Amino acid sequence: MTLNRNKLYWILFTACTVGYVWIYFISEKQFTENNQINGCLIKHFTNIPCPSCGSSRSVISLLNGDFIVALNFNPIGYIIVLTMLVAPVWIIMDTITKTNSLFNFYLKTENYLKKLKVAIPLILIIIMNWIWNITKGL
Amino acid sequence: MDAQKVDMFIMSNGKFFESHHINDIRERLIALDESKWAILSTTQFKDPTTTIIVSLLAGGLGIDRFMIGDTGLGVGKLLTCGGMGIWTIIDWFMIQKATREKNMQKIQQFL
Repeated sequence: MTLNRNKLYWILFTACTVGYVWIYFISEKQFTENNQINGCLIKHFTNIPCPSCGSSRSVISLLNGDFIVALNFNPIGYIIVLTMLVAPVWIIMDTITKTNSLFNFYLKTENYLKKLKVAIPLILIIIMNWIWNITKGL
Repeated sequence: MDAQKVDMFIMSNGKFFESHHINDIRERLIALDESKWAILSTTQFKDPTTTIIVSLLAGGLGIDRFMIGDTGLGVGKLLTCGGMGIWTIIDWFMIQKATREKNMQKIQQFL
């Protein structure tokens, strides 16, 4: 299961497809009925929102152009939207030109994130966001 | 390297590797230079049992992936509620193999 280029592209592409289907599915269903989406197992079982709870609602708010609302739901939605927009295009470009720029970028980012100077602030941000999620009662 | 030393290494570290890799590792260790023994015997490997416990408890946050060094996939898991719970469950079954593969990558630096 060593991660190589094709495997990474496959995982990313599947994840993005599932993401699009999921967004389509819940935007059809209208989540406004008591503002809840049951997509998260952690929340389903423990009633405590996880760090990324609310990101579906955030993505949908972003699609509707409500940037502030999206930020209030969960700032992680911004990252997800960015990934979902950029990743498929990049993967298709790489497949056509037969390069592996995305894979190299992924490896570089991974090494960057492993540095303690970067990792610790990011972990703290995620934990703070989590606490904010719990106090918001998503 | 001395066959006895290699067998000792395999005995104490066998659980960290895939069973089909062990023979290969053994042969290549025997062919290895004696000077590498000091580094090799002090190298720490990730325990698959520990990672599966972490995966069961905190797999939804991607901690298991972070632990074995798959930071990118860990971030992916963290940002998507553990792949909406599905990836978490898949990883309960995949993480031990992934850990052993990571250990194999690590020992390959010496072989």
